[in-house]
Amino acid sequence: MSTLVMTVREVLRYRGKEGQLAWIGHRLAGLGTLLFFVIHVIDTSWVYFWPAGYEHAIALYRSRPFLIGELFLVLAVIYHGVNGLRVALMDWKPRLWARQRELTLAAFVLTAVLYAPAFVIMMGHIINAWSATGVAAR
Amino acid sequence: MEITLRIRRYNPEVDEKPYWAEYTLENVERTDRVLDLLHRVKWEIDGTLSFRRSCAHGVCGSDAMRINGMNLLACKALVKDFVKGAKGRIQVEPILGLPVIKDLIVDMDTFFEHYRTVMPYFINDEEPPERERLQSPEERAIFDESTKCILCAACTTSCPSFWANETYLGPAAIVQAHRFIFDSRDQAASERLAILSEENGVWRCRTIYNCTMACPREIPITQLIAEVKKEIGRR
Ligand code: FES
Repeated sequence: MSTLVMTVREVLRYRGKEGQLAWIGHRLAGLGTLLFFVIHVIDTSWVYFWPAGYEHAIALYRSRPFLIGELFLVLAVIYHGVNGLRVALMDWKPRLWARQRELTLAAFVLTAVLYAPAFVIMMGHIINAWSATGVAAR
Repeated sequence: MEITLRIRRYNPEVDEKPYWAEYTLENVERTDRVLDLLHRVKWEIDGTLSFRRSCAHGVCGSDAMRINGMNLLACKALVKDFVKGAKGRIQVEPILGLPVIKDLIVDMDTFFEHYRTVMPYFINDEEPPERERLQSPEERAIFDESTKCILCAACTTSCPSFWANETYLGPAAIVQAHRFIFDSRDQAASERLAILSEENGVWRCRTIYNCTMACPREIPITQLIAEVKKEIGRR
């Protein structure tokens, strides 16, 4: 445990460059997505074991905090995929190390480009949901 | 110029835990090395400050330390790399992941154990030829970079994978293995690759590039590790 704490602390303290930043993001995105998957597999299994709980979970997913959480989920999935491909590419073509800075920045940019349309669509849903509930409240 | 040197100090016989000590030095030249500043602290202010150094010229690899957050050799780090104005601060702490013996001195045993694990010596049981074992310049070029390592441990102790798990052989040991794996005269490549394909071998490398940035000999370490990974895959 103390090693884990030390590693997390020092990852924040050590002045690594883009590669370290990309790796921290990769870990966060990966663990975040994994957490979501585990929860989701459990609540989906409730269809069978505990239908009322399942209904409740689905309603929860439609609530605002979860809709906003979903924004992060999609970002995490896209980033993890794009950055994973970059790492695979750099291991496959070792001499690309000389371009590692540019390639890492390219992965960030590509993530942003792929995320932009998803963000716009999902934001639209969130705003719709908000104004809809606003109307309902009135 | 005036430099405040902030040093992570620890004497296990006296101190309960490590602490930061500050020393202000005047008349520092921009071209002074961080090692010169450490010498001045030790010789002029506090003789108990402990650190390793031998050659003082980037050859022996004794004085790797974390300077302003990055692993470097104190004898190759110039004050002007960190401080632009007439006054400034430089922070020095021991390299991370190996137990601190005193102040900036760490216990290198684990590091050298990993080094020995990869059999960093020439192995060829054939009858020696009458003269040299010949090798073409092209064959020699393949492992040219990995011959430059001075075993300072700056790379291994900059690697988050090593911080998290000291049983990971680490970049330096892999570079040393690369030196012999790709030597056309050596015969033990498959044994070394077998060791490196185990749990604590090359697959703990996450391609973070901290090691490549930290290497004072400018060895493209991550490239060499990737070459070893590919060689394992190829066989
Ligand atoms: S003292 Fe020898 S490498 Fe710095």
